[in-house]
Parts: sequence; C-alpha cells; structure tokens
Amino acid sequence: MAAETGTPTTLTLKSNDDELFSVAESAAILSVTIRNMVEDGCAGGVIPLDNVDGKTLASVITYMNGISAIPADEEKKKSYRDKFLSDKDFETLADMVLAANYLNMSCLMDAVSAKIAQVMEKKSVGWVRRKFGIENDYTPEEEAAVKEEHKWTFEGVETDDDN
Amino acid sequence: MASSSSNSIEEEATPPPWEKLPREITAAILLKLGAVEILTTAVEVCTTWRSVSMQPSMWRYVRMEKSDVEWPHDFDDLCRRAVDLSQGQLIGITLKGSGTNDLLLYISQRSGQLKHLALVNCYDITGEGVKEAVKNLPLLENLYLNHTYIDVEAIETVGRSCPLLKFFILTSFDWRSGESDEEALAIAQNMPGLVELRIFGNRMTNVGLKAILEGCLHLKSLYMRRCHNVNFGKLCSERIKDLKLDVDSIKKYEEEILCLFAKCSCALLRSRSDAKSEVSLTELLR
Repeated sequence: MAAETGTPTTLTLKSNDDELFSVAESAAILSVTIRNMVEDGCAGGVIPLDNVDGKTLASVITYMNGISAIPADEEKKKSYRDKFLSDKDFETLADMVLAANYLNMSCLMDAVSAKIAQVMEKKSVGWVRRKFGIENDYTPEEEAAVKEEHKWTFEGVETDDDN
Repeated sequence: MASSSSNSIEEEATPPPWEKLPREITAAILLKLGAVEILTTAVEVCTTWRSVSMQPSMWRYVRMEKSDVEWPHDFDDLCRRAVDLSQGQLIGITLKGSGTNDLLLYISQRSGQLKHLALVNCYDITGEGVKEAVKNLPLLENLYLNHTYIDVEAIETVGRSCPLLKFFILTSFDWRSGESDEEALAIAQNMPGLVELRIFGNRMTNVGLKAILEGCLHLKSLYMRRCHNVNFGKLCSERIKDLKLDVDSIKKYEEEILCLFAKCSCALLRSRSDAKSEVSLTELLR
C-alpha cells in the first residue's frame, strides 16, 4: 500500500495468535465489530480479535486498505474484490468467511460467500460433500425421501385452475 | 468451538468442518447458490444444510431461471416448493424463461407480502394471468414485465390492486401498428404513485405521455424506447430528472433491474445492526 498522507488515527489489532497489526482507523472501521469497539472507547489500546488468526487478519487488512483506497465507485470496488479473492484457495475462503462474519463486514461477506457458492455451482451432491468434507448423515431412507421431495412433488397436488 | 483460554500453541489452523459453520454463514453461502441449486443439491448434502435451507428466511427473495433447471426437475414445481418454504414471507420473486398463469396465481395466493415481481421472458404468462395475480398483492411496489403484454384492463387492475406501486417496467412489444394512447392513459389514471416508469415498445403519442406526466406526479425517472409515436421536444425535460428517451439496449437494463432486485432482497436479509431493513428499488437506483 502507498504511504498514507497525514494518517489521522491508527489502530492496533491483535489476532488470536497474538500477532499485532497497525491499520488506519478509517480502513478498519469497515468492520462493524471494530467500529463498535472504537465507539466504545477501545481504540486507545490494542483491539483483540479473538476469532481471527494472524494469517487471515493480515489478508483482511490488505483488503481493508485496498477497498478503502477506492473512492465511491461500486464497479471499481467490485473488481477489486474479485481480484482480491481470485488467488485465494478453498481453505482460505473458509477462514475468510468466518472472519468476515465475525468482523461484520457485509461487503466482504457477500463476496466470499458468492465465491464459495461458485465452487459448488452445477456440481453433484457427492462432489459437494467431498469438496467440503461433509459427511452424509442421512439414513438411506431419509436420503431417498429428500431426493423424491424435490422432484415431482406436486403431481396430484391440488391445482389452482379457475378459482 | 471450545477456545481453551491458556493453550500456548493451538493446532487450530484448519477451519471448522463446513457443516459446523454457524448457521448464518451457511445460510449466506447457500443464498448465493440460488434457489434452484438449493432445492436440487444443497438440501441433499447433509441434514444441517437441509435444515438451513428450509428456513423461511432463506426464501424471501427467489430468482428462478429456466436455464438453471435440469431434468428431472421441473421449473414450476421448484417455484412452488420455494413459495411453500417461504411460508408467506416472500418479498420478491423473479421468474425467467418459464412459468404459467397457474404458477403465478399459486405464488400470489401465498405471498401477500410480495413487493417485487419480475417476469422476464415468461412467454406463457399472459396479461390475464398478471391481472388475476395482482389482486392478491396489495403491497406490490415494483413490477417488471418483459414480454408479457398486458392490456388496458390489466393495467387498471394492477393500479387498483397495488396502490403502493412505485416502479413499473413494461418492455413488452406491442406488435400492432398505428397510434394508441389507451395504455398510457390507463397508467396515468391508475398508477398515481409511480416514481419510475420504463416503457419500451409502446404506441403512445404525446397525448399519452402528457397524461402520464400529469397523472403521475411523483414520477422522477422515465425511460422509453421504441415509442416511435412520441415527439418529445421539451415535453418532460423540466420535471423528470432522470430521463432517457431512446434507451439503447434492453439487455443492459434487464440485468441492471434484476441486480437491483437481488440487492433489495439482500438488504432485507441483512437486517443486522446497521443495515436498513427496508430498501426500495427506487432508492437503490440513485
């Protein structure tokens, strides 16, 4: 990031593995969680972020700085977000979504959720389970029922012809 | 996650398993996946995803596209399923590329809260179908009809049934030739609350346009295209701030409008501390 000219206030954020980060308040308050802490008067000392590790926080701060440097231009912000997320692997996305949620950053949350959803677009149930490491906890009977439910469910159900 | 307070080096580099994510995160991700894939894939993945998918709050805004629906699933059935799951909480729905009058009626009878309705390339849905449906939609604010031709009677019904209507888009080409102001007059007389109007391919003349300007006193934005009988001159430039009289591409606006629909719904879903709980399409257009 370019050197900030006349930075008014800098905050110190602490990750859950005790890494410290300096970030301009104007960028950090993109996080509603941090903003609330600042408003509650925590800004003087160190702001502890118990649910975010150092690696993820570093990445989030890169995002905060990058996005807040862009003037109010939704197109450009969007393309920054796309670029920011383009090189993140799947595991990182999981960390990011948790962090974005915890930090209450709706734009980042939106973008990361969309990116994760994109991964499973047009994929089979089995593929999604493998990719996300999710165990099938349905009984075979339940699974069959769920499959059926979403197919031709409405055959024979009352129709709304003429009212 | 148990966060034992005094662990020196915790081996918690890996995120929690996906099915153990907080429900609101799973919901946010699945919402991005869209209605069709939630119903055809996500619900089958595991019981947690299914239970998240079944929450009525997941079904406040539904966008269904024919091109996303693959055999053996059926477009209308999936729509009905989505409407059922919304348990009356549906705020906005977009149907694209398919749908019938029966389906529309089904939706309207179960969605008295509906504010946004977009019918895009639903060639089987007729003006008659719209007319019957809107009678059940007293809160409708935004109506987008693309390739659904509605006649004067239907326009009147929309106006009478939906007194809150602010945003009306009619991009349904009228194939008849000649001049006719009857639709414009119907809009002028029955939709006094309109803030934005987009009308493409209409036979109205200056008489109709003038009537609209006089009848819809809140109108701030007017886009027209292929309204060849209108001779604009200075007719509306003083009053309407956002005026586009020969919009170049419908495609562009179609996407724009649908994006706005989606944004409205996201804003509604994100009813967290700082988010406005009510955002109208009109506001988002600013």
